[in-house]
Amino acid sequence: MLTYILRRILATIPVMAVVALFVFSLLYIAPGDPAAVIAGDQATPEDVEKIRQSLGLDRPFLVRFGEWVWQIARFDLGTSIFTGLPVTQLIAQRVEPTLSLMVVTLILAIVVAVPMGVLAAWQAGTWVDRTIMAFAVFGFSVPVFVVGYILAYIFALELDWLPVQGYTPIAQGVKPWLENLILPAVALGCVYVALIARITRATMLEVLQQDYIRTARAKGVSQRDVLFLHALKNAAVPIVTVIGIGVALLIGGAVVTESVFAIPGLGRLTVDAILRRDYPVIQGLVLLFSFVYVLVNLMVDLVYTLVDPRIRY
Amino acid sequence: MTAHSPDTSASIDVAEPAVVRRRMTPLRFVRRYPTITIGTVILFAVVFIAVFAPFLGTTDPTAISTRLRTREPSAQFWFGTDMLGRDIYSRVLYGTRVSLIVGFSVAILASVGGLIIGLISGYLRKVDAILMRVMDGIMSIPSILLAVALMALTRGSVGNVILAITIAEIPRVSRLVRGVVLSLREQPYVDAAIASGTSTPVIIVKHILPNTLAPIIVQATYICAAAMITEAILSFIGAGTPPIIPSWGNIMAEGRALWQVKFYIVLFPALFLSVTVLAVNLLGDGLRDALDPRLAKQF
Amino acid sequence: MDRRTFIRAGAGAGLVAASGGLSAPAIGQGAAAKTLRFVPQANLANFDPIWGTQYVVRNAAALVWDTLYGVDANLVPQRQMVDSEEVSSDGLTWTFKLRSGLKFHDGTPVLAKDCVASLVRWSFRDPMGLMIKAIQEEIVAVDDTTFRWRLKRPYPKMLLALGKNNSPCSFIMPERIAKTDPFQQITEYVGSGPMKFVRGDWVPGAKAVFEKFADYVPRAEPASWLAGGKRMLVDRIEWVIMPDPATASAALQNGEIDWWENPIADLVPVLKRNRNIRVDIGDPLGNIGAFRLNHLHPPFNDVRARRAILMALDQEEFMRAIVGSDDNLWKPLPGYFTPGTPLYNEEGGEILKGRRDIEGAKRLLAESGYKGEPVTMVVAQDQPVTKAQGDVAHQLLKRIGMNVDFVATDWGTTGQRRALKSPPAQGGWNIFFSWHAGADCINPAAYTAIRANGDGAWFGWPNIPAVEQQVANWFEAKNLDEEKAAMRALNKAALDNVVYVPPGFFLTYTAWRSNVSGITKGPLPFFWNVAKA
Repeated sequence: MLTYILRRILATIPVMAVVALFVFSLLYIAPGDPAAVIAGDQATPEDVEKIRQSLGLDRPFLVRFGEWVWQIARFDLGTSIFTGLPVTQLIAQRVEPTLSLMVVTLILAIVVAVPMGVLAAWQAGTWVDRTIMAFAVFGFSVPVFVVGYILAYIFALELDWLPVQGYTPIAQGVKPWLENLILPAVALGCVYVALIARITRATMLEVLQQDYIRTARAKGVSQRDVLFLHALKNAAVPIVTVIGIGVALLIGGAVVTESVFAIPGLGRLTVDAILRRDYPVIQGLVLLFSFVYVLVNLMVDLVYTLVDPRIRY
Repeated sequence: MTAHSPDTSASIDVAEPAVVRRRMTPLRFVRRYPTITIGTVILFAVVFIAVFAPFLGTTDPTAISTRLRTREPSAQFWFGTDMLGRDIYSRVLYGTRVSLIVGFSVAILASVGGLIIGLISGYLRKVDAILMRVMDGIMSIPSILLAVALMALTRGSVGNVILAITIAEIPRVSRLVRGVVLSLREQPYVDAAIASGTSTPVIIVKHILPNTLAPIIVQATYICAAAMITEAILSFIGAGTPPIIPSWGNIMAEGRALWQVKFYIVLFPALFLSVTVLAVNLLGDGLRDALDPRLAKQF
Repeated sequence: MDRRTFIRAGAGAGLVAASGGLSAPAIGQGAAAKTLRFVPQANLANFDPIWGTQYVVRNAAALVWDTLYGVDANLVPQRQMVDSEEVSSDGLTWTFKLRSGLKFHDGTPVLAKDCVASLVRWSFRDPMGLMIKAIQEEIVAVDDTTFRWRLKRPYPKMLLALGKNNSPCSFIMPERIAKTDPFQQITEYVGSGPMKFVRGDWVPGAKAVFEKFADYVPRAEPASWLAGGKRMLVDRIEWVIMPDPATASAALQNGEIDWWENPIADLVPVLKRNRNIRVDIGDPLGNIGAFRLNHLHPPFNDVRARRAILMALDQEEFMRAIVGSDDNLWKPLPGYFTPGTPLYNEEGGEILKGRRDIEGAKRLLAESGYKGEPVTMVVAQDQPVTKAQGDVAHQLLKRIGMNVDFVATDWGTTGQRRALKSPPAQGGWNIFFSWHAGADCINPAAYTAIRANGDGAWFGWPNIPAVEQQVANWFEAKNLDEEKAAMRALNKAALDNVVYVPPGFFLTYTAWRSNVSGITKGPLPFFWNVAKA
């Protein structure tokens, strides 16, 4: 088991190297000039060129790449071109909002979706099942920003129950923190509710037909216990898988959600950095994303071995 | 994904005729596969709209007339006009083309790409590890970043939108295919075929391909739906379809700031998008149940 | 809030209440009432106003750094940090004396050597600064509060150069910071302005925070734009960056923010309906659209092709695409200079007035030898103003028979591509879009886009001696009449030769909660004398 974990962690190094090289080359060949953006609209071409030189953007690919790799080897992600702040600081100050949003979204999605899926499976074929599944499909098909606007309009502007936008750090109290996160989490969570409900239903259907469930029923175990204790435990594997995939998808959805609800998270940092060509920030973020992605998948695999003893590595 | 293989693929047996075949009348088909029927009908309607957009009472969807901007829906402008005075009805109908092209192209390209990589990876152990690491790497790059980079590299275009989404989707398909291939390899009849000296391409074509098609088709429908949504999200951040080509995504993205005062600019494309994605998903669900009931556990 | 700041805030507020008939601030409301939440036009991505010259950086910098002079609402430079100045009779030697009590945020006094270092750094980056640098003999600190600037030739517009609101402003920084290479970013944000920058709370892309500087001594005169007493009536200003206008609008309606710098015009009716919100024109000097042509390559190396666009261009179409249906927000602009300012004129502007002549434009275009070659139009999609101009221009060019190659891209890419002089087919361009703040377009001083000195000109590189001649005439003008004459000739020469295509003049609104008072119109948001009840 330990060797397995170790092997998997070591395997992340080539992944990150692939990502790093790919992203660096992409950014290098992509046009776009941070110096021009910095210099402003009235600047002369000569000014722009001087800024470009002072930023070291005029040097050849290999020199820049080598320097960057050397930096990373010393656990230094460099300095943002625009803000002059260390990339690690820029990322660090935005981790909490994004992490909070993802955690609340996932919890919300699981709490809503798993019972929905179980209910649908239990009532398979009835109108209850159809309604739930229709809702699930619908949750799939509305863009997150449309959901976000509608939610903000109803619950913040008209009813005045929740704030329209912003983020309060959890250190300033759980209540304001949660109040700021509910609307974005619901908007972002729609897709996951849909996804998880569908998978839960499908898995439950399969499991409910297994021999041991039939045995349990025959032995007089109550319907509720059958559903939640026996069946759901076995349905955990695919649900965990979806959560694993979901984390990667969340990054994409978070960009939009964070923009709509003005949450200072990693998604907005990513878009801002890309549009301004703040190369060190983009590179740092992509490394972070790929690391998180690999880590989450590793954790998902480990959870398998816990929930399903048949899987061994 | 090591994650997928243990639970899904292990259960995919050789497809066997489950029911005694009776003559399938249309009515019986509709009864047995209501979701496929509904999905197909809607989708045909949408394709019809896309193909015949110029003949459905539309005007030039790019014609700007800022004196007629943000008009409410009326007899003259069925869906109203946007902030440049363009006819939203025409834009939405023409936009159908872009959304369908993006959805279908991504579904087909990602399926084919994923199939090839998955087959190679599942069949050739030597390259498997490398390929899967590369796939891991690609999956971890946000497709939004890819899209912006591609736009900067050349220009905003439908082709780049397709490419950016496809690249992000290929790893998912290839993992699925690889899982299927790995489990099929363990099947006695594949073993027998290998032992009897059947060549690799023949084994792939005769034994492996047929069994991967069902899960891929199902997967492709979901990818198609996801791609249409992603197109809208890319437009939201300005990295999507260029504005001179109307798409549901960029109509919504352009109108979104006005949603509180002119909600219909977002409403109509959102409705079309939702209904189409719904249809594609229904079709996918139906196909899944029809092609292989056991796959039901996957999604 | 501790007791001392509380008392000070109360005292400051009382002062205004006594002096200007403002509603008396509610003193007992606690800390929240003294924090002003402001949504700026753009993200504050860097904070060196000399290195980076975007307007948003200048606007934030005006809180933290003070200037020697400041223009008032009549665009006349007034003393700000300076107590008195003296110019020799030959106009070659300027001697400036600082007023007393000036202090940097780190507690050190502002000395003449700080001013010298700051002006040297600024003169590398500012168009007017560069002109002074070109004729300067020396700039030296005479003593702690006096410095002297000696020139080889007189420079009558010296005070305007030191007090103008155009970016980069000559902000005064401590010498150790001002010694930074002008093409490198400073790393310390210490000024002597009325607010301190709270670096620890800075989240670029999301938030920037300023705190009242207790030791700031405002001038006694009433405030007018950058001139006069900059009295801070709030303790803390939070800039909240909101990328989504729909969200900013909702947040203002909900009272989560106090002031939104530039609401989009279509949302203004909703804001106006809200009793708790006030809306007014933000910057009376507005903005001038820029439809920029590349003079180096066909078809726009021929003046007839450039004139063809002017003949067909409908400014209303462009302006409505930018500002929406509100007629208060735009004006036709048959010229290049800011309407409502003293030197504004419409000389030579007939071609932009009256019925638009599509057929005439087609004929002129054909005369120029254009035969349907692709015209590369680079349009940044992430800036609403460039996007709107691109959409309308695309239709215009198609109408006059041009074959448009529409390159949708982002602002970062536009910024790089427009600097390429190569032919469009080899990575260059024919057309791109931008806009200029009206404050920069009052006269040629800070108006780089009007220049037509070939390789030295702004992107598009027009080479038109007639235009350059009139620019020189304006700089040498000795009185208002001479200035006006030069400007009339300049407007005509620029239109006759089409330095660039002006799609019109537009304004933007600004909106604030009704419990905020003291907001004035100006080319940048002025936070001094703004109170929050």
